[in-house]
Amino acid sequence: MDAFNNFLTGTVTLFSDPLGILIFFGGVVGGMLFGAIPGVSMLTLAAILLPFTAHLSPEHGIMLFSVIYCTGVYGGAITAILFNIPGAPENAPTAFDGYPMTQKGQAGKAVGAAVMCSALGGTVSCIIMMLATAPIADWAISAFGPPEIFALVFFGLAVASSVGAKTFWKGWLSILIGLMVAVVGLDPVGGIERYDFEMPYLLAGIHFIPTILGFFAVSEIFVQLEKKAKGSYKAPKLSVDFPSLSELIAHKWAVFRSIVIGFFCGILPGIGATLAAFMGYNEAVRWSKTPEEFGKGKLEGVISSETANNAACGAAMIPLLALGLPGGALTAMMVGVFQMHDMEPGPLVFLNSADLVWVVFAAMFYANVSILFVGFLETKTIINLLRIPFQFLAPMILLLATVGAYAVRGLTIDVVVMFLAGVIGFFLRRSGYSVAGIVLGLILGKIGEQTFAQAMQMVHFEWTGLFSRPITAGLLLIGFATLIGSVYGEFFKKKPTTDG
Amino acid sequence: MGNLRPGHLIEAALWLILCLFLFIYSFEFNQDIEIYKFGASAWPRAIILLMAIAALGQLYHHWKRGDEASSEIISKATDDGSEDAAHEAHHDGLKWYASTFGLLVIPFAYMRIPDWIAAIISVEGAGVHLIRIIVAAILVGIFIYYMRRNMIGAMLTLPVFFAAMLEDFGFYSLAPFFIIGVMFLFGERRPKFMASIMMLILGLLLLLFVKILYVGLPVGNMHPFYDIGSWIVTVLQ
Repeated sequence: MDAFNNFLTGTVTLFSDPLGILIFFGGVVGGMLFGAIPGVSMLTLAAILLPFTAHLSPEHGIMLFSVIYCTGVYGGAITAILFNIPGAPENAPTAFDGYPMTQKGQAGKAVGAAVMCSALGGTVSCIIMMLATAPIADWAISAFGPPEIFALVFFGLAVASSVGAKTFWKGWLSILIGLMVAVVGLDPVGGIERYDFEMPYLLAGIHFIPTILGFFAVSEIFVQLEKKAKGSYKAPKLSVDFPSLSELIAHKWAVFRSIVIGFFCGILPGIGATLAAFMGYNEAVRWSKTPEEFGKGKLEGVISSETANNAACGAAMIPLLALGLPGGALTAMMVGVFQMHDMEPGPLVFLNSADLVWVVFAAMFYANVSILFVGFLETKTIINLLRIPFQFLAPMILLLATVGAYAVRGLTIDVVVMFLAGVIGFFLRRSGYSVAGIVLGLILGKIGEQTFAQAMQMVHFEWTGLFSRPITAGLLLIGFATLIGSVYGEFFKKKPTTDG
Repeated sequence: MGNLRPGHLIEAALWLILCLFLFIYSFEFNQDIEIYKFGASAWPRAIILLMAIAALGQLYHHWKRGDEASSEIISKATDDGSEDAAHEAHHDGLKWYASTFGLLVIPFAYMRIPDWIAAIISVEGAGVHLIRIIVAAILVGIFIYYMRRNMIGAMLTLPVFFAAMLEDFGFYSLAPFFIIGVMFLFGERRPKFMASIMMLILGLLLLLFVKILYVGLPVGNMHPFYDIGSWIVTVLQ
């Protein structure tokens, strides 16, 4: 009952302030638009807006970012489905089936499913978040230390290693490239310079926004040109055929499973929506009676990943607000908003600024609900982007990506890094490597190393000590089992099923 | 040799050379940390070791199965056709790679050569700017000459070249040429159409980012490009 009263208070606070309403709707439309424009993402918008939040109140600043987070994750699905360009890493699995659906003329159905499932996953996640924040935060504080987070990162990478690459080994090589790129810069324990090649720019590490833009948006342009060169480029077919209610009801278990996966992935610091989407997709394949249809335009693939990544958004706010741990790029920017107002996210925010927390929760709830309405209206407009010939869309995407990469830190070297990442991504993609794996390795690499160092200090550098902690032991053992199973399959499976 | 082809051996060799290079470089920061007995190099070296194992595993896969995919369903699910496109467009031969990497040298040449020349002839300030403009003009000429022979190589080079010149020439002076260049490489040949689309794209971008969102884009640091960029920003804001 307390939660309901707090929610009502948050709602009243949100909608009784004209500036709050303006910021809320600006965030909803901006998040969707930037998520949906190929080449830029909600991160671009967030990076552009970050300096301006200094002029807003902490409530408005955090609320704006949380609304952008919810609607931007959905918006990124549109580009993933229409152009095979995920707006963010968490939309990458959506492209696996969404883009083939577009090529088959079912873009409308795929986008429609993304709208409904994003709204559903996000709204349910928000409700659970509001009801369970306190007990879950208490549990996470006591049960999740660095060893558990490291084990979770290891488990996540072990599960994701097979995603996106032609072979198991190429999947691992992709992840390892990402982990290696994350090493560049200062070491997290002693601040020692690593692989900086005496370039001051590299001391701060390679920023993930230009890298993500390069690997996904820029390399896609290069691939499309190559397809055009061999004459196999086909403009996607148009349709606005939304999925029927019965089609969605038929996938109720996929939706339920993805909400559970998404919520639990989201709540764990440092993991967030990316792993949620990959695991949601992976589990959908595993549980399906027709797994061979995945990757060829199966609606369940879109439903699973989009439900899971939006379900993770609400949950991702818990470690941020309760522990001060960002779960991903956007929540890391939220830490920046807090710091600009001389505040530190963490347990004290719950005690001292309950108003702020509940305004944010209410805003996220209504942002997810608004995806359903604004999303349907906006989809019909955005789908018309497909009518633009690619030779006109390509320079626009490249210039938007240029602005996005430059806006992060105001450095032209970030633009160079982005385009070089695009060139590298192009060569790796055509050789069967996974750009999604590289990005996952890059994002989780820093957290993995930091938590490993802390964990080893905690167990006095006796690695067996990790197995005395049940959650750590469980996650490490499942991760190793997944790995050993995949290696066994590589060496001892006689004939691969290449025809699906 | 099993199903191994020379390309597979080159791929494995590149990975192992990369691992060796990264391992040797790790001695540059192989320092002890008082509170952390593994030091700064243990984590990257573990990654390097795993990378070498994965590269050898990949070589074994090629030896046993050639270019076949693993039986993982997910790996098949993510086939975006880029491999087939490269093969069918005959963009996987040694000659194509040599030509492409030759083109990709152009942006790096721009980043280095003007400073070398300026150091040799001891020039500073406006003289360096003049050298930069002359070197850029020569490299653009070379790029245009080779562009038609290798369109994909040119497309890979153009954005990197654009980014390399951004600091000196600025976004506002380069963007129109960049838009037209990309459209040309994608097969558009109607000059009036290209000019109209260029103005439309540029107009929309400037309106959104410069006029509405006040995003500061690079204006360049050389006369007259800096003046052009600053004038556009002043007019819009």
